[in-house]
Amino acid sequence: MQTQIKQTLNSIILTEDLGKAVVTSEGTLHILSSIDLIINSGESIAIIGESGSGKSTLISLLAGLDTPSSGTIKLKGKSLTEMNEDGRATLRNELIGFVFQSFQLLQGLTALENVMLPLELRGDKNAKAVATALLNRVGLGQRLSHTPKQLSGGEQQRVALARAFATKPAILFADEPTGNLDSKTGETIINLLFELNRENQTTLILVTHDPILAAHCQRTIRIEAGRIV
Amino acid sequence: MSRFNLALRLLWRDSRSGELTILILALIIAVTSSTAIALFSDRLQRTMVNQAAEFLAADLVIDCTTPISADWLTKATQFGLMQAQTVDFSSVLIEHEELLLASIKSVSDRYPLRGILKATTTEDYTSETILHAGPEKGTAWVEKRILSALKLKIGDSLTVGEKPLTISHVLTYEPDKKGNFYSFAPRVMINEADLAATNIIQPGSHVHYFFQFSGEPQVILDFKQWLKPQLNPSQHLVDIHEDRPELGTALLRAERYLGLSSILVILISGVAIAMATRRYTERHFNATALLRCLGCKQQEILWLYSSQFVVLGALASAFGCVLGWFAQEVLFQLLKELLPQQLVSPSFGAVFFGFIIGIVVLLAFAIPPLLRLKQVSPLRVLRRDLEPLPASAWLVYSLSIGVIGLLIWRYTTDIKMTVTILGAGLGVLLALWLLTYGLLKLIQNWLPSMNLTWRFSFQGLLRNSSTTISQILAFGLTLAAMTLSFTVRTDLIDNWQQQLPDNAPNHFALNIFPEQQAAYKSDLQLNAIKGSQFYPVVRGRLVEINHLPVQQFVSKDSQGENATHRELSLTWTKELPEENKIVAGNWWSNEQLADQVSIEKKLADSLKIKLGDLLTFTIGSQQVNATVSSVRELRWDTMKPNFYMIFSPGSLEAYPSTYITSFYLPETQKDLLNSLVKKYPSTTILEVDLILKQVKTLLMQLTQAINYLLYFALMAGFTVLFAAVYATLDNRIYEGALMRTFGANRSFLRRTQLLEFGMLGLISGLFAVIISEATTYALYTQLMAIEYHFSIGTFISIPLIGAFFVGTAGFMGVRQVLNKPPLQVLREL
Repeated sequence: MQTQIKQTLNSIILTEDLGKAVVTSEGTLHILSSIDLIINSGESIAIIGESGSGKSTLISLLAGLDTPSSGTIKLKGKSLTEMNEDGRATLRNELIGFVFQSFQLLQGLTALENVMLPLELRGDKNAKAVATALLNRVGLGQRLSHTPKQLSGGEQQRVALARAFATKPAILFADEPTGNLDSKTGETIINLLFELNRENQTTLILVTHDPILAAHCQRTIRIEAGRIV
Repeated sequence: MSRFNLALRLLWRDSRSGELTILILALIIAVTSSTAIALFSDRLQRTMVNQAAEFLAADLVIDCTTPISADWLTKATQFGLMQAQTVDFSSVLIEHEELLLASIKSVSDRYPLRGILKATTTEDYTSETILHAGPEKGTAWVEKRILSALKLKIGDSLTVGEKPLTISHVLTYEPDKKGNFYSFAPRVMINEADLAATNIIQPGSHVHYFFQFSGEPQVILDFKQWLKPQLNPSQHLVDIHEDRPELGTALLRAERYLGLSSILVILISGVAIAMATRRYTERHFNATALLRCLGCKQQEILWLYSSQFVVLGALASAFGCVLGWFAQEVLFQLLKELLPQQLVSPSFGAVFFGFIIGIVVLLAFAIPPLLRLKQVSPLRVLRRDLEPLPASAWLVYSLSIGVIGLLIWRYTTDIKMTVTILGAGLGVLLALWLLTYGLLKLIQNWLPSMNLTWRFSFQGLLRNSSTTISQILAFGLTLAAMTLSFTVRTDLIDNWQQQLPDNAPNHFALNIFPEQQAAYKSDLQLNAIKGSQFYPVVRGRLVEINHLPVQQFVSKDSQGENATHRELSLTWTKELPEENKIVAGNWWSNEQLADQVSIEKKLADSLKIKLGDLLTFTIGSQQVNATVSSVRELRWDTMKPNFYMIFSPGSLEAYPSTYITSFYLPETQKDLLNSLVKKYPSTTILEVDLILKQVKTLLMQLTQAINYLLYFALMAGFTVLFAAVYATLDNRIYEGALMRTFGANRSFLRRTQLLEFGMLGLISGLFAVIISEATTYALYTQLMAIEYHFSIGTFISIPLIGAFFVGTAGFMGVRQVLNKPPLQVLREL
């Protein structure tokens, strides 16, 4: 009991009885049910499961990209479920970083501009310097003015990593970050991700179906048919 | 501020990547064309009004039979108006034992205030000189006919009344020569300073004074308003719209056409902007989802994009204004040969109007699709299939309809008509929407029985039927606007040509005695001169309507008042004259009795005369009664004898009458006039050939100007059509590339795509023709007074043109699917 209270106090993400259901023509479909999670600050967690198990839905709820049908979510003690869309947007801007399987870089922007974007949204005056430093850190110092089309998949994901860490987020959500890359490039990206994570002491929530990748994390949560097993 | 900077940076990054090209193009076309047309029509209109003012030699004229109060002239000076005066009267000239009745005109030094005089001093009278002032003191300018009739030449002395003057010029053109009773005789123009010495004008002499004024339009209007209440019945105020109905209508119609063109071009561009913004929006769903994911609030998203659009609008509008300025300069250069020498300068107001139009059109047409971006879910970063709901239909339509409504109102300045046009337009759109929907449903039922190519083509249209419907409506509107522009222009020009055909009568002969009629007719025939019918004329005055004095029915300054203050030309005829149309009652048949009268519609309206009313006329000392049995509409601008009152045969034969006719006399046979005047000295000949020439030149200039405007509108239409087709291609390119990966060969894809776009164009063209014909009908009957003709050719050609252009544009757009490896296409999207 005492351990749980201690864990709760130290937690950065806390969910209780979290569920997501959608109404279809064939009745209600429960995508997630009764998810209770406590994730501590600085922890790295892998969420694993088969395709369609509900892992992507879980991170979309945790990151405030979607709203649950039942239960509560608290991020750094703030109840996400009580916030409106604008409140969740503010929280995303303050706390959260993302890395996606499909990189999600803006095609018209250069590597540097892509990394600057979250900083600019915050009104950061040093956006350019910070972004340049980060791109140097991920090994793309010579590719600042290249657009996504001129970069390889691995390079694009490195830009995405730089963008994710640019705002020094407390929590980083990574959705299948190596899903679109070959195994060698994937490994480089994973190493870089964990290095940056350590340097920034970020809480990492990594969604994957790859057990080897999951093994890099401190803890693994397996989801099957919408429930933690 | 930092958000605004961010918006600017995003805008710059977007424009660099080519995302904004179509949108910017559409906007620039909208602003360029609306500015160019606004500038051009404003400038042309003011130039034309100025030129039309030439026909008065001033902006405003007081026409009276006695000099006006000196106070009025002082007041005009206080208003800052320029002034000139002319005095017209007839006098018999005797030289070398020849007699000639001449029309003398004395002019003050400032005459003419508007326009120019043309005269020649050479012996062959060919090379004309443009002059800005009339004869000097002691000299006279005469028309060529005077020299031949009186056996004179330049430099000879001519005595006008008691004053001998030296003939210094042969007058070939005077701006305000009117087709009235004072110009039947050839002109002698003298200086005002010599007038008293002629000793012709005595108390009671039949003289016309013209006090002429010119100045800024607003000042003229103010002066006119000040003057109007003080005029007595014998003083008439004349400006161009009142004085010359044939020019007035031409100008009015041209102005309306110009207004119509600019609305159409704006509508076309609006459609393009809406389609381009829609594409822009769809291509920004992912970026927006990412921005939302990175913490942008919904309002911030909206602000971010709308501020980008405002900046974009301001830049593109400014650029469009500059281009528009150049475009109208080019138009004027192209028309240089035809236009008057003195062009008024373009007005900055019109440029400003173009700029404002740019911003307003952009916002009205772009905001609805842009609002969708606000609805983009941040979850889209994980699930690409999540699309925001389409913008609400009422918002899309109410904004754009509001803007179009405002433009129509500005153009018609009639709220009732604006509401009618908008209502009808909306009704047609709704009907077409339903029709398209039904058509697509019908096609869906036929799909299984079609071959593969046809099935794939139609499936392309059916896959997203709401998008297809909006595309058909958009293309339909664009094509309709272009068709409308073309049809109205063609009918307008035809109408003008009909109004004044090449051999339109250009001379009137009046006061032909009944016993001379046959001889006069045969003289005309002998010289191969084409004349109109001879009408008998009895001068009479309308005095009572249903036994009540006519003064009770007239309102001041109305047509009725003018008609009751003077004697009218009354005639009788068995047949309804050409170009007269019965609008109420019936034309008399043989059995009907005498004492019926047919009245002209405008006069009947003005005097509130109805069918069956009893009208009383005084002819000499006698009274004649007649019952109104029909009301006629007629065109005063046909240059044929026209009458307010036509009696049934048997009503007026007992009264003394003379005959009137009109005929076409070519320039080369002009000398025939002298022999006619000599042979029939009692007759009066009215020469309107110069006026006709002026009117024709003006109409030709307007025609040319309108042609160029049409080309401009068509060019804008086609550019926008291509741009709009391109805005719809992403999905089709994607699907094409996918099909190629599945093994579809290039010729199959080529056929399905051509067919799909061709069908899209065909249906759009069909709708375009329905919209444009409905609008043309409404415009012609309500606004432009042109007869509407249904043409089956239009109904066939427009859908085919639509199929050709949309088909070609679409095919060119998706060509890359055929020529590039599919993977490359998929990656680039």
